[in-house]
Amino acid sequence: MSETLLEVKDLRVAYGRIEALHGVSFSVNQGEIVTLIGANGAGKTTTLTSIARLPPPEAPKVASGDILYRGESILGVPPHDVVSKLNVALVPEGRHIFGNLTVEENLTLAAYPRRKAPASEAEAAFKTVYDLFPRLAERRRQRSEQLSGGEQQMLAVGRALMSNCQFIMLDEPSMGLSPLLMQLVFKTLRQLNEEQGMTILLVEQNANMALRLAHRGYVLDTGEIIAEGSADELMDDPEVKKAYLGG
Amino acid sequence: MKQRTLTIGLVILFVALAVSAQFGLVDRYIQSVIMLMGVNIILSASLNIINGYMGEFSCGHAAFMCVGAYVSSILSVLLFADNPFLGAPLLPAYLSVVLFPVVALIGGGVAAVSGLLVAIPSFKTRGDYLAIITIAANYIVISAVENLEVIGGPRGFMGMKQVVRAMDSVAKLPWMVIWVALGAWFSVFLIRRFVSSTYGKGAVAINQDEVAAEIMSINTNKIKVAAFMLSSGLAGVAGALFAHQYGYVNAQSFNILKSTECMVMVYLGGMGSLSGSVLSAVLFTLLLEVLRPLQIIKWVIVPLILILLMQFRPEGIMGNRELPDFFPWMRKFYRFK
Repeated sequence: MSETLLEVKDLRVAYGRIEALHGVSFSVNQGEIVTLIGANGAGKTTTLTSIARLPPPEAPKVASGDILYRGESILGVPPHDVVSKLNVALVPEGRHIFGNLTVEENLTLAAYPRRKAPASEAEAAFKTVYDLFPRLAERRRQRSEQLSGGEQQMLAVGRALMSNCQFIMLDEPSMGLSPLLMQLVFKTLRQLNEEQGMTILLVEQNANMALRLAHRGYVLDTGEIIAEGSADELMDDPEVKKAYLGG
Repeated sequence: MKQRTLTIGLVILFVALAVSAQFGLVDRYIQSVIMLMGVNIILSASLNIINGYMGEFSCGHAAFMCVGAYVSSILSVLLFADNPFLGAPLLPAYLSVVLFPVVALIGGGVAAVSGLLVAIPSFKTRGDYLAIITIAANYIVISAVENLEVIGGPRGFMGMKQVVRAMDSVAKLPWMVIWVALGAWFSVFLIRRFVSSTYGKGAVAINQDEVAAEIMSINTNKIKVAAFMLSSGLAGVAGALFAHQYGYVNAQSFNILKSTECMVMVYLGGMGSLSGSVLSAVLFTLLLEVLRPLQIIKWVIVPLILILLMQFRPEGIMGNRELPDFFPWMRKFYRFK
């Protein structure tokens, strides 16, 4: 069994008086792809933004429970240190790219956590991203708001890879993408995992695609984990099938 | 070498200004308009850091100007003037020439700290709260000053003319014209360095998308506080120059109307354009002088200009661009970033 990278313990988070997560616990091991599936309002995004330590209103204060990364609590870590010191990258819901900057400028900006490292590292990261997404290399001088939705999503993933991350969290990367583009993005994620040993936490509504990619999965429903297991087990689980996979 | 052209041009301009003031080629009135222009340049350029580059909404810029004006005035009067409350001058008059910039910077420093006091509670939340908190801060500062009898209360504080006279006793030069020109230059230089640094770029990133800035590992709180302190500190320096230029300060000169003037200059020039801020400060100062014969009607025309501006050119004179973006030949002499 490989080392546990991330452990979320009995996490409770509330927006004002409304509790969004009622004690969520799960873990992600080194080198794994884990998916968190669930319907709208299940608390998937809140879970991710809480791990990324985003300030309110994106993620409210943790009411109780703990988030351990490499065995240490990260509740006191500010969001910029989560990226630059813990090397955890987030691809947020809705992409959040800088629309008035070009593709290359977005990627350059994303190399900001590496500013103290030698420039060759950032160049290597550029090469990795452009190799994974040749489309971005073609459009490097284009303003990113002019990209199609799929290309923007590639840019959002590419941007996360520009930081020196070993663990990447993605919030619904398939949102608004055609099936073909979705497959491309998912294929890239698998490639990252297999070739670079990248640990991935994937939040998805598209349970079918997510479970096919992941090693393990958790099903989140209205702030609680209702099922967990290997991806194959979850695919065969009649409850999951009925709720998310359409029979 | 060509990069230095702007600096050389400014030096010539400043020397010409000082010389013509010295030999009475421009009269007192024109000198005072020029000084007001310099103060306004500092105010609009410094407010542009927050309202323009960072995209927050601060409405109480005059509060920090007030802090800087009072702190530096009290200090300079204490050191170089004979005052019934503060006693005889503590230091010999010849030091006034050397220490005046220090006094102005101390005024700016205290204003920056008061800016920090406003910034910390307001940045826990986002958006409109900063506007409300800064308006409140503006009122708090004015009421505090008006109720402090020691510094003259509502009657205001004077004695700074004696400080200027102390400088005159060293050498008969148009000291305040020189200080205002240097202050404006220093401020614009500092702001230009700030906005082209990683701090300034971080501020623009916060303006565009704060979540994206966070996940790009930008320490948004640090940048916000730094930007706010720089902005309020420079407003304090502007206040110090303003106070010594007139030799008299009164809390009501720093009321919400003054803050509004600062905002008008920022939006007139263009949010996130430093050359726009400088340009609009010059234009706005001239405009107020030209409209002076209209007296009270002036305050109908100025807001009207703002309304027309928002209707026909909402991005301001320059948008978020700089002069060389419009006139590429300027790039030969001057690079902004």
